[in-house]
Amino acid sequence: MELSESVQRGLQSLADPSAFDQSCFQVLVDVSFRSLLSSRGDPGVLDQPELKRLDQIMLKQSHTAATTFILEAVKQSADKSTISSCLEELTFSAERIEIFYSTYQKHKTELDRLLASIGRCPPRVNDVSWRLQYHMKNSQVDKVNEPVYLISLDTENEGSSEDVNFTCTMEQLQDLVGKLKDAAKSVEKASQM
Amino acid sequence: MEEVDNILIHALRQVGTEVGEDIDSVKQFSSELIVEAVVRCVRVIEPSLGSVLPTSLPPGMSARFRVGMSLAQACQDIGYKGEIGYQTFLYSNEPEIRSLLMFLVEKLPREHAEASDQPTGKSVVLQRAIAAAIKAQLAVTWLPSNCRLPLHGETQVNSLELHFDCFHVQPLSLPQCTQGLGKKQLKEMKDYQRDILPPVTAQPSHHASVVASILEQHTAELSAAQEWDIEWNSQGLLSRLTPQEYRCRKQTRLHKRIVEQLRSAVLPSPESAFGGPSSTSDLSELLQAFRCTAPSDHILTKGTHFTHTQKFTFTQVRSTMPKYDSAERNCPCRKKSDIQLRQQEELTSVQQQFQQLCTGTMSSRSTIAQCTCVLVQVLDELKQRELGNCEKEERMQVKKKTINLLPDADNNLLKLQALVESSAKRVVNLASQWEKHRAPLIDEHRRLKEICSNQELESSRKLSEIKSLHDKIRVSTEEAKKKEDVYKQLVTELENLPQDASRSAYTQRILEIVSNIKKQKEEITKILSDTKELQKEINSLTGKLDRTFAVTDELVFKDAKRDESVRKSYKYLAALHENCNQLIQTIEDTGTILREIRDLEEQIETENGNKTVANLERILDDYRAIRQENSALAAKVREG
Repeated sequence: MELSESVQRGLQSLADPSAFDQSCFQVLVDVSFRSLLSSRGDPGVLDQPELKRLDQIMLKQSHTAATTFILEAVKQSADKSTISSCLEELTFSAERIEIFYSTYQKHKTELDRLLASIGRCPPRVNDVSWRLQYHMKNSQVDKVNEPVYLISLDTENEGSSEDVNFTCTMEQLQDLVGKLKDAAKSVEKASQM
Repeated sequence: MEEVDNILIHALRQVGTEVGEDIDSVKQFSSELIVEAVVRCVRVIEPSLGSVLPTSLPPGMSARFRVGMSLAQACQDIGYKGEIGYQTFLYSNEPEIRSLLMFLVEKLPREHAEASDQPTGKSVVLQRAIAAAIKAQLAVTWLPSNCRLPLHGETQVNSLELHFDCFHVQPLSLPQCTQGLGKKQLKEMKDYQRDILPPVTAQPSHHASVVASILEQHTAELSAAQEWDIEWNSQGLLSRLTPQEYRCRKQTRLHKRIVEQLRSAVLPSPESAFGGPSSTSDLSELLQAFRCTAPSDHILTKGTHFTHTQKFTFTQVRSTMPKYDSAERNCPCRKKSDIQLRQQEELTSVQQQFQQLCTGTMSSRSTIAQCTCVLVQVLDELKQRELGNCEKEERMQVKKKTINLLPDADNNLLKLQALVESSAKRVVNLASQWEKHRAPLIDEHRRLKEICSNQELESSRKLSEIKSLHDKIRVSTEEAKKKEDVYKQLVTELENLPQDASRSAYTQRILEIVSNIKKQKEEITKILSDTKELQKEINSLTGKLDRTFAVTDELVFKDAKRDESVRKSYKYLAALHENCNQLIQTIEDTGTILREIRDLEEQIETENGNKTVANLERILDDYRAIRQENSALAAKVREG
């Protein structure tokens, strides 16, 4: 896990027992996780009685570094060995690593969701209904005699459902099916690395 | 054979065949088990071939026969060279099945061996993780949307519960950005950061962009640091400057380039910059000129002196103009025609006056211009004249002096010569003195130059050393990283590997087998050497016999011509020799027959192993079953 210089500096001051004693450390770690997970940005998140007597600039630095580190760790889905080796390099004591990791473990699924919610997702096909129509003739041609498929895809995106309707000829439908099969095969191939 | 069977059964269990606990050799395999084992192996080796084969034998005899045929075909397709047919599966015999299973087990793909050959690296680790994730997602069964529960994994749930936010980034103000660079912070800045600046998580206006903003900020810092590192290592070190100096120089260089760019952009349209600055040397001026060309005035947000004056003039003109307009508009409302006429007259007179004034100013302007031209010319002339005057005065003075000296010419000449000589001497003196001073100075100069060049050499040498060190550092860090990655990958692979408990047992057994084979080999060589010795002895004995016989034969034959009794003995000798030969022949024949007997016994044993009798009985049974089936079918046909 690569960390920028400012984050490293913030974490080092967080690891320093003379700057943050044990209770302060615990409170700041809790606050960092909470500030990431709370649904609105609370400017008074650092106004804790334990943190009052600290240097506010250093406190903000450490808070920024801690939140960044947490997000990077969740982004890479870091396991215990990665996190502890990373924090050990930044002169964290074993006890503090344990505190941090247990809190991390507690909030990991929520943070995973938080990160997963960034971005967009294509609509998901839930169901298909179809109708086969037979096109016999029209005003220009007396004998057409072609089957036409009317397909309606029931899709869902972000909780709201929506229908995608289209018609296609037999060849087009076959093409679509072939493409879908190709896609399925590609996914399978990708899973067999 | 026991070890082979154990290995085979272990491999088959790994493939997924349900081999019972009590079965520990291929001999105990039933037809069903054989079919299942072979089908599972084929499925692993060639999924397309194996997917159509059933894992169990159907009850009908003819269907069984067909399954056997297709299985045999599949095995041949995979590349089995041995004899194979439906009978292999239905009427099995041990060695055939064993060789077939051994072939199939050997053909099984070896994932571990392949995995270790693959190239390693960060991307491979990532790709593997992706593949594992896809695999896990593929394994999840699909459920209709209204049946999904939270425990069905996140992939199917989140689209219902989560709403997606775009990756929207807002700039964050970090308290440490200005610190640590060795610069003294402003007190106000510090106060602001201490008391007012909210924590990063509260800074973005929309809470959804907090995570994105923090991640983006971090990545930007990282990449900037990397870029700087690369640039410093490639160019900065060679410039022999400290990092700060290098930064300053780069800044000035960039500044210059921007100025040039702007100048080239502005120059083609100097008139559009409305009387813009004629001396475009300063960047700020240039920028202003550039802004002036822009159509809208409100770009000028920052009020410099220049822009203020411009704005001022603009607004003046604009504010005065409407006044006239309004005055003129108000008049015609009150009195109409009269005032219009008067206005017209006034207008024409004013216009005339204006024109007159214009022409007057024009003419006076031209005269002023002419006058200034004349003035400049006259001033030039004056200067030239003054210069000429000065020259002439100097010349006059020199001439005056010579005229003064003329009356006492000889004396003055001598005096002058003395003067010239003394000055020449002085010059020589000065020159020698100069030389005296110059030589050590030049030496010193040379010495210093040498030292300088030496130092330069040294510094360049050190520089190259530093560079190579940097390279080394980079290479070794990369290597270390790569090795760490490989280590991690291997650890995960090790964890993923099936925990093969019998591995050590296998190796032990293999070692035992090897030692057994070694012993057997020794014995075989011993026997071989024994046989060879025996052969040698036999050869030497037969040779000796032949020779003795020839000698005796000759001796006795010679005597036999003369003596009757000797002739008899010769006959006996010949008979003895012949009988002995026959005896040897018989012994040899017995040996070969014994060997043949042994071969035959072995053959009988193998035939017994083939369960021929049982198989024949089964074949008979099956034959009867098929006949019954056929007759039943025929009866049905007849009924139908």
